[in-house]
Amino acid sequence: MLGLFKKDKHKVVLIKAPLKGRVMDISEVPDLVFSQKMVGDGIAIEPIEGSVAAPIDGEVLQVMDTKHAIGLMSKEGIELLIHIGIDTVDMKGEGFEIHVAAGDRVRTGDLLITFDLDKVRGKAKSTITPVVITNMEALTTLEKSLMSEDEWVMKVTIEG
Amino acid sequence: MKEKIIVINNETGIHARPAGLIVKEAQKYKCDIFLVKNESQYNCKSIMNILSLGGKKGDELLIRAIGEDAEAAVEALSRLLEGNLDA
Repeated sequence: MLGLFKKDKHKVVLIKAPLKGRVMDISEVPDLVFSQKMVGDGIAIEPIEGSVAAPIDGEVLQVMDTKHAIGLMSKEGIELLIHIGIDTVDMKGEGFEIHVAAGDRVRTGDLLITFDLDKVRGKAKSTITPVVITNMEALTTLEKSLMSEDEWVMKVTIEG
Repeated sequence: MKEKIIVINNETGIHARPAGLIVKEAQKYKCDIFLVKNESQYNCKSIMNILSLGGKKGDELLIRAIGEDAEAAVEALSRLLEGNLDA
């Protein structure tokens, strides 16, 4: 909707889907903290396999101790939080395996986390995985694509 | 500047949902608000910053606010952090 015209000073960044599955708007997540965009704006994915790949080129900012969430910073300065499932904090890391550490450089498609999807299905409130931009103030525009055949799920412009 | 020491009370510590609540509350105030742990300062208006604090149940933190509505901000944040953030 916004920002189809690229301005000279602005960089356009395409954010790929970090998981395979149905893509939805963040407002559909069954958790008010996410659906009301308190964490940030973005999309969510209902995963069909337990594997999270880097959606951008950038750096790992931090991995939660409980292994169910990871913070990334794209090389252009976009902060992204990928939060596997809802109420997965109670699983205390069981069923999750982290393949990167804070400070690691990553490229789009690099494997970040693998997890036992059946276990999350059994123990957490939902497997729906928010992918959220946490520094919305840094963006000029945000466009979302919920069509899984698209190459990207979010198109962001940011001042370069 | 206003400061107050508090202890994190909720079972699961400061993960994504509590961090969202903290930032939402902090954004109601004009002042700069920080959580201080081991002399490192974390900005209460940044989700990623608050998450990187890695706050766990029982951790002692300092809330620090600087600006015109600092007193009200420290009061509100301490109520939130010492209450049940998991609710």
